Formats: sequence, C-alpha cells, structure tokens
Amino acid sequence: MTSSRVRRWLLAIVLPIAAVGLWQAAGTDGSLAGGALPTPDRVWRAWVTWAFGHAGPMTLSPYVGTWAEAVGHSAERVAKGFAVAILLGVPLGVLIGWSRLVSAMVDPSIQWLRPVPITAWLPISLAIFGIRDFGAIFLITIGAFYPIVINTTQGARDVEKNWIRAALMMGAKPFDILRRVILPAALPSIFTGLRIGLGIGWTAVIVAEMVAVKSGLGYVLWDAYYVGRMDIVIADMVSIGLFGFLSDWAIVRLEMWALNWRRLQSFNQ
Amino acid sequence: MGTIQFSSVGKTYPGGVLALENVNFTVGEGEFVALLGPSGCGKSTLLNLIAGFERLSDGQMSFNGQGVTKPGPDRGVVFQEASLLPWLNVWENVVFGPKVQGMPRNIYEPRAQEILRVMGLEKFHKSLPVQLSGGMRQRVGIARALVMQPKALLMDEPFGALDAQTRLSMQELLLDIWQSLKTTVLFVTHDIDEAILLADRVCVMTARPGRITRDIRIDIPRPRSINTLTSGDFTTYKAMIMAEMRGLHPHH
Repeated sequence: MTSSRVRRWLLAIVLPIAAVGLWQAAGTDGSLAGGALPTPDRVWRAWVTWAFGHAGPMTLSPYVGTWAEAVGHSAERVAKGFAVAILLGVPLGVLIGWSRLVSAMVDPSIQWLRPVPITAWLPISLAIFGIRDFGAIFLITIGAFYPIVINTTQGARDVEKNWIRAALMMGAKPFDILRRVILPAALPSIFTGLRIGLGIGWTAVIVAEMVAVKSGLGYVLWDAYYVGRMDIVIADMVSIGLFGFLSDWAIVRLEMWALNWRRLQSFNQ
Repeated sequence: MGTIQFSSVGKTYPGGVLALENVNFTVGEGEFVALLGPSGCGKSTLLNLIAGFERLSDGQMSFNGQGVTKPGPDRGVVFQEASLLPWLNVWENVVFGPKVQGMPRNIYEPRAQEILRVMGLEKFHKSLPVQLSGGMRQRVGIARALVMQPKALLMDEPFGALDAQTRLSMQELLLDIWQSLKTTVLFVTHDIDEAILLADRVCVMTARPGRITRDIRIDIPRPRSINTLTSGDFTTYKAMIMAEMRGLHPHH
C-alpha cells in the first residue's frame, strides 16, 4: 500500500470511529435513550453470538449462529432480482435508445409506471405471489429495472453518430450495430444504472422481507424489533450496509475491468 | 469499377437550410478528385450523400451506375477524426468490416496484416486508439477502409486535424498507396495545397447554397511527392485556385 492509500483509509475511518466512540461514551448501563438504544459493545456481542454461536437443543433464541443464513437469503434474492432486472433492462434500453419506434411505444409506459414506488407494489406482489421468495424477487426486479433501463437508454441515445456510420460503411447489419457498437458504447451509462439499481435492490429486499417472506436480513430486522432485541436490529442494519457496500464495490471493479479503454482515454486527454 | 455521378443534386435540411443546389459532377474510374471549399459549403454533405449516410432532396446520384440508398463496403469512408471504435484495438478495428461481413478468416487475416504493415502499424496491433497519436489513428482509419477493397475511397478532411508535419507524411503515404491501388478517391478538404498535391481534378465549391464553381484538371505528372509542393506547376495552379476562391468571397 502506498502512503496516499493509507492516508485515504485513515481519513475514511475517522468519522465512524468518532461516532461509535461518542455513542459508547454517551451510554450508561449499556444503553441510551432510555434503554432503547444499546451501546456498541452490546451490539458487537450480540452480533458475535448471532454469527458464531452454537445453538444447543435447549436454545430458544433464533439469534444464535443464524447470521450467515440470513445474509445468504437476502444476498441470493438481491442477486436473482438484479439479474432479472439486467436481462430485461439492458436489452430494452438499447432498443429504446436505438429505435424511435420502440422508444415511442415503450418509453411513455416506463415513465408512467416509474413514479410508483416499490412499497406500493407490495400488496399486488403479496396477492399474486403470497409469502414466498418470488414476491421479494419481483420487488427487487421492479426497483432495479428503472435505473438500469433509463441509463441504458440514455447511453444508447448518446452514441457518437460516426461510430454507427463507420460500422454501417463496413457492412454491419442492424444486429451487429446493436451488439458491437451501441452496447459497448453505452456501457459506461449501463454501469451507472447497475450501481443505482443494485442500491435500490438492497432497499427492496429489506422491504420485501419485512412483509412478504419469513427469512433474510429484512425479516430478522422486523422480528428482532418486535421482541425488543435492538442490539440485533443494529447489528442487522450494519450488516445490510456492509453487504450493500461490498456488492457496489464488486460492480465498480467489474466496471474498471470492462471499461479499461475509457480509463486510458481520460488518462491521455 | 468505381464511378461517382451527381446530376442536379440538391440537399435541403429540415428548417429549409439549402446545403447544396444543382450540383453536377462525375468522378471517373480510378480518378482522384478533391472537393475544395470553405467550411459550410456542403462539401462534406456531398460526400455523406454518396456514402449513403444522408438522403438527397433533389436530383440523382449514382455509384457505378446504381442508385445509392445506404452505406456499404464498396465505398470505404475515412472520417475526419478517424472515428475508430475506442473499445477495440487496432487489429480489431481493422478486421471489424470483414468479420461482420462473414468473410473467412484465412482470407482477411493475411490481407489485414499486409495493410497494417504498409501503414507502418505492424507493432501496434494490440494498441487501443487512445494510445495512438492522431496521425497513427488516421492510418488505422485508412487501413480499415482499404481492407474491404472498396471500389472508391471517400475521405472527409482526413488530415484536417493533424499538425503540419504529420499531415505532410500522411499525404505522402496516401500518394504512395494510391499510386499502387489506383482506387477512385473523392477527397474533401479546405486546404488548397493538399488538393493540388493529391488530386487529378480539383472541384472548387462555394457556400450558401453549396455548388461547384470550377472544375480544374491538375496536369502535374505522377508519381508526385512532397517536392511537388515547390514546383513551378504547383505554384501556377495555386495562384489560379486562390484567385478563383478570392473572387468567390469578395467580402472577406
């Protein structure tokens, strides 16, 4: 690690450490706000038990050694819903950006449906899919779909005219133009859409699990609140933040790899 | 085969802007014709029409006796800023055309290698366009047109963005290539020297509306080189064309 990277890391953790320190110092008897908010050391111990505890035959608490399972359920749903959103949003966005006809036919409907928040889709999702995985995945797909399709459309519309002309001159058919010119040219915008979409996907999975399924970080969050386990609630929130952050980081790495030509471009100009 | 014909061609853009009016001219088989004029005179529009990028509003045009409706590999276009696909490396840019046309690999690969060698790019197959200088990029732009063995090359101010020295070496390279290929070339430029040095005929254009005012045959013997630029013939043609262009713009 270079010294500038160390410096950046240090600067980045100043605020969290200060906040946790203050929070710890403000608590008396392991809690503050009249017992509603446990201090960080309690949250930490709750998390350790939740993550690594061994449930014996007499264990009644569901928060012993079940953390990885909860994370796994949520991450799997986000991955599935996000994948469906990409499979729908990217091709559709490329088509809307490329064809005036498709744009005139599809774009208005997308714009009318977009203001409906994912929470408003909950009742319909429950009515159709019941308390099952599918409902959660449906909500994640809807949430992630809009930013992906809109950013892809934008990217496909902004493709430099001469790239398309050059490809046509070289004998490219419409499908070649879509796949070999418009799609790669729109990739920077597509990645912007993916990052926003994935963020919304994590929001959607928590909302869906609070209501529509009986597992995952969102379910634990609501359940722990009902039984007054605020330490688990906070550990759960931190977990959501951590995995949201990690999945975003993975997309950024993928973007850096896929758009190497673009990084060189900003470097050379 | 590679004749270009414009008869009574007009082009009006939406909003009523008259870009070209009553343009008549022909480029014969194997002929090198330069379209010379100030910016906004419609010379690039003329090239875009025969390339199939734009539709004409009036008159007729043909390529090899056939009407032009869309772009195609029989007319290789070299763009002003090369317009290479920035995510593909030099090799991938050059074989893009043969590949999408479904040409067999064993035919296009040796051909692409040979053209890249002639262009002085054999060490740059793996480079991305952004890693190349403007002149090198334009070499790739020419290579990707030539690899399709087009019947005509349509060049839209290909050296306009290059520095003077690079421009000279690119002009010399183009003279060499043309000398051996004898492809039909339509070359758009605003540089008088460039037009005289390269072309068999210089068509002088005027703006608003765009039309061709003079069609001047350049009888300087070939092969030509940079030295042509300092010959007596060259100076005579230059004086003639400058007078022609000044006459067209009495207000400037």
